Amino acid sequence: MARKELAEPDIVGQALAKNRLGVPSVVFFGVAGAAPLTVIIGAISAIYAIIGSTAVPIAYLVVAGILSLFTIGFVAMSRHIVNSGAFYSYISHGLGRVIGVGAAFVALPAYSLMQVGLFGLFGSAASGILSQFGFKTPWYACAIAAWLIVAVLGLLWVDLSGRVLAILLVAEISIVLIYDLVMVSHPANGHVSFATFSPAPLLTPVVGSLLVLAIAGFVGFEATVVLSEEAKDPKRTIARATHWAVGLAGLLCATSAWAMSVTTGPDQIAQVANAHRTDLVFFLVGPHLPVALVDIGYVLFLTSVFAALLAFHAAVARYQFALGREGVLPGAWGRTHPRTGAPLLGSVTQSVLAFGVLSAYAAAHAEPLVYVFAWLTTIGGLGVLILMWATSAAVIGFFAKHRRGENVWRAYLAPLLAFLLLSVVLAATLIGFGELLQVSGSSPFQWLIPVLYLAVAGIGFVWALIMRAARPEVYAAIGRGADGRVSILGDDTQVIRPLHADPVGARGYPY
Amino acid sequence: MTSCTDSDLQSLCLRGVGGVLADQYYLIAHEDRTGRSRLHPRATGLGLAAALIGELILEGRVGVADGDLIILDRHPPTDALAHDILDLLVAQPRHRDVRTWLAFLSQDAALRVGERLMRLGAVEPVTRRRMLSTQTLYMPNSAEQRNAAAWAPARLANLLVRGVEMNVSDRVLVGLIAATGLTRHVLYDFEMHRHAFQSLPNAVDSLPGDLRELVEYTEASVGSVLTVGRR
Repeated sequence: MARKELAEPDIVGQALAKNRLGVPSVVFFGVAGAAPLTVIIGAISAIYAIIGSTAVPIAYLVVAGILSLFTIGFVAMSRHIVNSGAFYSYISHGLGRVIGVGAAFVALPAYSLMQVGLFGLFGSAASGILSQFGFKTPWYACAIAAWLIVAVLGLLWVDLSGRVLAILLVAEISIVLIYDLVMVSHPANGHVSFATFSPAPLLTPVVGSLLVLAIAGFVGFEATVVLSEEAKDPKRTIARATHWAVGLAGLLCATSAWAMSVTTGPDQIAQVANAHRTDLVFFLVGPHLPVALVDIGYVLFLTSVFAALLAFHAAVARYQFALGREGVLPGAWGRTHPRTGAPLLGSVTQSVLAFGVLSAYAAAHAEPLVYVFAWLTTIGGLGVLILMWATSAAVIGFFAKHRRGENVWRAYLAPLLAFLLLSVVLAATLIGFGELLQVSGSSPFQWLIPVLYLAVAGIGFVWALIMRAARPEVYAAIGRGADGRVSILGDDTQVIRPLHADPVGARGYPY
Repeated sequence: MTSCTDSDLQSLCLRGVGGVLADQYYLIAHEDRTGRSRLHPRATGLGLAAALIGELILEGRVGVADGDLIILDRHPPTDALAHDILDLLVAQPRHRDVRTWLAFLSQDAALRVGERLMRLGAVEPVTRRRMLSTQTLYMPNSAEQRNAAAWAPARLANLLVRGVEMNVSDRVLVGLIAATGLTRHVLYDFEMHRHAFQSLPNAVDSLPGDLRELVEYTEASVGSVLTVGRR
């Protein structure tokens, strides 16, 4: 009698899947990385005020589109290399290690400065809120209070991922939707205008500034690839989730920017934004909502900025850890606390840097919203834009040698389109950088920042060449990251690779 | 250090001279006073999973080639836990990737190795009631057990300092200790253990191919797990 073969149970697959993340969790992670509430309340009002253009909503949609194109190639490449989530490892695989190290040297100050800039936003917003209750506190005091908490949590490697983050994010998105609804239902002059969605202003020179400021709002979405190993379906989960994250974040920001312009009227939005800055949204919805909802909004805004601060702090620390482990930075940066896995030196370095920069600004009595938040996030945003542009080129370079089973759209066409679009944005940004910083025509800041980035990248190139000459085995391991295809190791080196938590001298060759 | 008098602790001490890989790793990786893992729990789980696979490799049941586990011999090994794992490996031919098995086994490795140590008499189950859950920890509870547990890292440090030729099992243990980040616990005194750091790389370099691959994949897995930072 024929017996029906029972399909064997996939014990291993099921057990692993239980602990793995599905698309919704990764989407949360990506959207949280983009910190929508911080962008909406902090950045959009600043963009309206500084640039004065009404094309902000369409700019966010355009950026979401460009980043989606970028994501296609980025995630496709991430399936074939190690995932530390760092752009520089992609660049070192696609464009060579010398350029990769240069990119790493650009990434460190870029992400660092973005984080410090957020301290300015937090300090300014918190001091404003406290002054409404009658406590006059300088922005510096609030910023340092946040700095202390971030520094401690950063050392303990407390990750706001998981349930806390999910709850906060859901609350933030709900508040945003409520505010948008309120703003749209109270249009200026009684009719809802879609004028701010018109793409016409994008063809003017101001497009570069708009797009780079909008891109700065999305920074953090690329961290989703860090979760590749934890995802249910490594091939599809991350790709799908990253597209969703970029799309959702873009839609939220665009809708809110549009709602703001609806309620003030497209012609008034720039002045009103200039008058109220980070208070803009609360000022617009205040008359129409119960006080409780506005207060909740303030609190959620502060928690959102705080979460973004922690996330950037962790990202910078992790970057330094990856670089330290590969030998690009001294080995001390590549060590983690054995139990928590915290990259201690990286965390401390970022805290010290943030403290120094904030204190320098406070000593100079600089206005926090413009000079700390707007300037630093713009400067950092330029760095990240450069990284993304180089990564899109790296994707092309990586797949040019061998398509590795990806289809033509993912391996060649989408990355090429993304590269072209990002090149346009980068060029427009570099040309108009002075306007972004709102400095006069003769100020050295017109060209100083891009030149500094070039210099820093140059130092990276030189350092890579020195490493290649002096420590070839370490040079060969750049970009390989935590993982290492063992087959690569066979022909490269006989020396044991740096192990992440052992003390100096354990390896037997001098550092 | 008092001499081991209890008969099964004695067998544990004797076996310590080449003892069961995962048991040794467990004792080194957990604090004897509190039973807590010295590492991130996922890192400990990966180390124990690698040790369990290592035991099977040492017994010649399993081999590693190009990142895949190959079954060499289906005869059940004497140890019950090793038998269990070999059974799983045989029953799930669809999964052969080393890292998949490391991830899968790491989920409950601590519990199962703890139970094995309990059967040996080296640890006892201690139930801790926490806010929302109860947790059972396997930890040494008597003076003799704590002595035996403290002997595990001390013995290894001794071997490394003296630069003696170590057997394969000990070299794998050293490799896993290094790969998961426990080196500073075993070689805790920089002055006293300075020479030990010299012999560390050699110990691992001289491992046969499969065991070396195992150690490297463990290190890679621990690295990615720590980068993500999930519990």
